[in-house]
Amino acid sequence: MTDQLETEVRAALRERAAQVPTASIARLAHLDYHPRTRRLRPPLAIGALATAAGAGTVAVIVSLTAGASNAFAGWTPTPTTPSPGQLANAQASCEGGQSPIAGLPLKLADTRGPFTFSVYASDTSSATCISGPSFRSVSGSTASAPIDVAAGRILLSTHESSRGGSAYSFADGRTGDGVSAVTLVLDDGTKVQATVDNGWFVAWWPSAHAVTSAAITTPAGVTTQTVPAVTIPGGGPGAGGGSVSGFSSGSGEATGGGGTVGRESVQSFSSSQ
Amino acid sequence: MDHGRADFETFVAAGTDSLTRTAYLIVWDLQDAEDLVQETLLKVAGRWHRVRKMEHPLAYARRILVNLALDDAGRRTRRRRELTGEALPDRSQPADEQRAFDEQDELLRALAALPPRQRTAIVLRYFLDLPEAEAAAAMKCSLGTVKSTAARGLARLEQALRTTNETRSIST
Repeated sequence: MTDQLETEVRAALRERAAQVPTASIARLAHLDYHPRTRRLRPPLAIGALATAAGAGTVAVIVSLTAGASNAFAGWTPTPTTPSPGQLANAQASCEGGQSPIAGLPLKLADTRGPFTFSVYASDTSSATCISGPSFRSVSGSTASAPIDVAAGRILLSTHESSRGGSAYSFADGRTGDGVSAVTLVLDDGTKVQATVDNGWFVAWWPSAHAVTSAAITTPAGVTTQTVPAVTIPGGGPGAGGGSVSGFSSGSGEATGGGGTVGRESVQSFSSSQ
Repeated sequence: MDHGRADFETFVAAGTDSLTRTAYLIVWDLQDAEDLVQETLLKVAGRWHRVRKMEHPLAYARRILVNLALDDAGRRTRRRRELTGEALPDRSQPADEQRAFDEQDELLRALAALPPRQRTAIVLRYFLDLPEAEAAAAMKCSLGTVKSTAARGLARLEQALRTTNETRSIST
């Protein structure tokens, strides 16, 4: 019986394995799994990064995205009120599958039109998930120790990606005590108001434009921090003096074209009164 | 493009088919399998400067994949049951007399119902045809453990087929 059973098992497994769509394999084979070029931030940013470096931060980005162009219709520069069921649907979409979100509590959800951008985090790990019509994208990062952010300051991480040829970017991070609002200014002048809650903020925009400054609201007023970019060649963890590294990839369940990720940057800065 | 990156892309082009089909058989779900392969290749990419010097990079990637799959098996099973409302396999339901019994379908159902470690051992031994020592290395366990785990899996499959045959005899 055993030999016959083994033969039958082999045949059954071969049959099952043959069900994997070749398109699925092709898409996985054409994703970009490499670390990205990182753009680090100004002198104040280096101070903040040093905190992260001291904590042994290692970021790993896992993106699951695909779809068509014109994917971001309905986006707004200020957060919108979620439609009925929007948050629950986003949560179900984001928490499915194997992802960096597993086991992390939800910290905040930013809604802009039909899109929901959620941040899940513990003291040492965080993951973001953007979900919208026909796609979702998940990214995550981990640190070997909690990162402290001073009162009135923020720790910013920005990421640039694309979906179906359309670029989008997002910024997320920790807020120190007293920070009640964050508005990012992009290099084309666009102002994007972030959602702030539970010591975190997040904002995203449908372009590759970089953040040039941030207006941070605290009980003492509003301060503006410029954020000039400094390009540092990519490499493994620790390259360029920092210990932040990133990897990204794309895939998805929507239409073809593949969701390639353009580049990803890990940035940080702090703002003082 | 540097040589390391070119090597990695060659590795991905050659290995993704096997990794994806293996992942699919281990986790029994296409979306989970795709996520698993991505996570595996991300990890390999991050260590590629070391992995590229290995004699068998695919075996290393397979080891990562298997460990990720087994580490996450409990959560994945719970989630699938929550999503589908699936309960534990229930063989007490009356068989549909109009349905033709297909032994291979039954075998696939039995494979799907195996505990993750047993199914993994079966997949490594009978789909990939790995020697027991390589299967043990992939599962990070001893040779004896992989032998007994695969044997228990086969025994469960055999029992499932026997039950099917008995049911078929009763219903005909």
